[in-house]
Amino acid sequence: MASNDFICIENLVKRYHDLVALDHLNLSIQEGEVFGLLGPNGSGKTTAINCLLALLKYDKGSISIFGQEMHPDSYDIKKDIGVVMQNVAVFEQMSVRENIDYFCGLYIRDKAARRRLVDEAIEFTGLEDFTKMRPKKLSGGLLRRLNIACGIVHKPRLIIMDEPTVAVDPQSRNKILEGILELNRQGSTIIYTSHYMEEVEQICSRIAIIDHGRVLATGTTEELKQMIKTGDSITIEGILLSPEILAAIRGLPHVFDLTYEEQVLKIRLGTAKHNLVRVLNFLQEHDITFGRVFSELPTLNDVFLEITGKELRD
Amino acid sequence: MTVFRGFLMITKRNIHMMFLYIVIFLAIALAVQKTTKDTSSSFQPESLNITVIDRDKGELARGLTAYLEQFHTLVDIPDDISILQDRMFYRDIYYVVTIPESFEERCLYGEELLPVTKVPGSNSGFYVDQQIDTFLNDVRILTESGFSLTDAIEDVIENGDDMPEVTLLDKNGHGGDSPDHAFMFQYMPYILISIFCYALTYIMIAFRNPDVKRRMMCSAVPVQSQNLQLVLGYILVGIFVWGICTSMPFMIYGKSFLADPNMPFYLLNSFLMTLVSLSLAFLSGTLIRREELVSAVVNVLSLGMSFLCGVFVDLDILNKGVRTAAQFLPVYWYETVNGLLANNVSFSHSQQISLLAGYGLQLLFAAVFIGVGLVISRNRQAV
Repeated sequence: MASNDFICIENLVKRYHDLVALDHLNLSIQEGEVFGLLGPNGSGKTTAINCLLALLKYDKGSISIFGQEMHPDSYDIKKDIGVVMQNVAVFEQMSVRENIDYFCGLYIRDKAARRRLVDEAIEFTGLEDFTKMRPKKLSGGLLRRLNIACGIVHKPRLIIMDEPTVAVDPQSRNKILEGILELNRQGSTIIYTSHYMEEVEQICSRIAIIDHGRVLATGTTEELKQMIKTGDSITIEGILLSPEILAAIRGLPHVFDLTYEEQVLKIRLGTAKHNLVRVLNFLQEHDITFGRVFSELPTLNDVFLEITGKELRD
Repeated sequence: MTVFRGFLMITKRNIHMMFLYIVIFLAIALAVQKTTKDTSSSFQPESLNITVIDRDKGELARGLTAYLEQFHTLVDIPDDISILQDRMFYRDIYYVVTIPESFEERCLYGEELLPVTKVPGSNSGFYVDQQIDTFLNDVRILTESGFSLTDAIEDVIENGDDMPEVTLLDKNGHGGDSPDHAFMFQYMPYILISIFCYALTYIMIAFRNPDVKRRMMCSAVPVQSQNLQLVLGYILVGIFVWGICTSMPFMIYGKSFLADPNMPFYLLNSFLMTLVSLSLAFLSGTLIRREELVSAVVNVLSLGMSFLCGVFVDLDILNKGVRTAAQFLPVYWYETVNGLLANNVSFSHSQQISLLAGYGLQLLFAAVFIGVGLVISRNRQAV
C-alpha cells in the first residue's frame, strides 16, 4: 500500500487479548502540519504511536510514512523520524552533551556534521550551561528539554512527540511548546499527543480526538468547535434560585444544559449572539442577586464532552 | 559504531571500580600467598606454652616434665585453678598437665588417665596428648622389659630429642610446594566475576532501560547491528580485563611463570573463566532491573562461589558436602584444574581427562548462562 499523504493510517486494529486498543483507526497527516492526537489516558494514543513507529505489531490495517509502507526494518523511513517519548529516555551515565551526541550518532555518521547538529540542538533547547552535567543533576524541565534534544538532534522530517510535557512546570512547558512551533517552522512535520487540551489547542494546526482506539473527530480547533452545539458556558457564583426560576432559566432561548450546585449556576448555551446579556437581563427582571459571573467560549473539552458524554480528564 | 562507543563510554564511567577490584585482588593474592608459603614450604614441629603442675614430685613426674620441655615452653604458674583459668582464657598458656600424687602407681601401672586441661577447640592440644601418651607408653614398655625406671626415663627423653627430617615430595618442580603464580590464579575467579558482573550488569541495565531501548529501536541503526556492537563491547572489555589479570603473574613472577611448562594451561583456564564470568554477567544483567540490587547480587555470586568452590580456602579443606554442591558451579572446575596445574608438571591419563573435563565444563556453564539469559530476554520482550 502506498499513499500520497505524508502519513496514512488505515483501519488499524490492535488487540491486547480481549481489549481492543485500536479499533479501525484512520488518520491522514499532511507534510508541514502540527497534528495533535487528543484523548484521555488509555484512549490509544501511545499504542497508535507505537504502531506507527513499528514498535508494536498490529492485528489489521496499514501504515505508510512518506508514501512508503512502514515495517520494523524500514530504516530508510526511520532515519527521517525523531521520537520524543513520554518518559525521559537518556543514559544516566552520560553527560547532557554525550547523550545528545550518542542519539545523534544513531542517525548521523559524519563526525563534523554530528558536532554541528549537537551544538544546534543544545542551543535550540537552551542547554548550553548544562552540557557537562549528568541527567540526574538536572531539574524536571531541563530533563524534558534534554529528552527533546535527543529526539530532534538529527533534524528529522517527522517528529513524534508522545506527551512530552507530562510533569513539567508551566514555564518549562511554554518553552517546550514554543520550541515545537519553531521546529515546525524549520520544516518538520509534528505529531503531538497529549491529554492537555490547552496545549493541543495552542500549537496544533489539526487535531484528531480519539477515545477507545477510534477517531471521534478530526479538524482544526475551529472546525471541531463548530461541530458541537455549545456556544458559551456561563458560570454565576453566589446565587440563590428556586426550582421555578431554574425551570424558567432552562426555558430561555439557546439554553440546552444547566447545573446548579452550592449556589453556583452553570449554563451551557448554543451558538448565538448576546447569550450573556440575555441571561443577566432575566436575573435583573426577577430581582435575583448574584456574585461573580464568568463567560467562556467552548473548549476542546466541551467538544470531547459533547462527543463522548464524559470529560477529557475523566 | 555508535552503540559500541556508548558501551565503552559507560564502561569508562565504571573503570575506577574495576581498578579498585584489581588492586584489592592483587593485595589479597600476594598477602595470602606470602602467609601460606611461610608455613607450607618447610616442616616444623609445633611448640606451645604449657604448664605442668607437679603434685607428685617423683622421678617419673620430673621425667615427664623434662620430656615435654624438649618440645614446648614451660610456663611456671601457681597451682591455683582460678589463676590457671585466667591465664588460659588470655591464651598465655594452651595446655595444663596436672601430675597427681602417686603418679607412677596410678597412671603408669594403673588405669587412671593423667588429668589435663586445654584450650577448647585447639588442635595443638591433641599433639601434647599424643606426646604424653608416647612418653608413658615408652617408659611402661621399657620398665616391663627390665629397664630401671631411671634408665627408661633417660632413654625415652634421649630418643625424644631425635628430630625426624621431613622432605616434601617434589612433583611440580617447586619443591612440592605450589608455585607462587598458582595462588594468583586461584583468586582470579573472584576478581573476574566481580568486575564483569558489576561493570557489565550496570551497562546492561542502562541499555535495557525500556525507554532508551524504544528510542534505539526507532533509530536508523538495525537492531541486529546494535546487538552485535554490544557483543563486541563485551568481548573487548573481557579481553581487556583478562589481559590485565593475566599480565600480573608475568609482571610479578616473571621468569618463574614463563618457565612453568603449565603456563599456557593456566592462561587457557583463566580465559575460560573469563568466558564464564562474561556469560554470568550477561545473565545477571538480564535478571537485574534495578541498579540498587547489583551490589547485593554480585556479592552473593562472587563471594558465594569463591567460598564454596575453593577460591579463598583450598578445596581439600572444604567438607565433602560442600565439595559435592560446588560441583554444580563453574568455579569449582576452574579450581580443580588450577590445583592440577599447581601440583603437577606431567599429567597421568586420568589427570589429563580431569583437565579436559574442567575446561569443557567451564565452557558448558558459559553456554548455559548465555542460553538462559537469552531465553529470559526473549520472554520479557514477548511480554
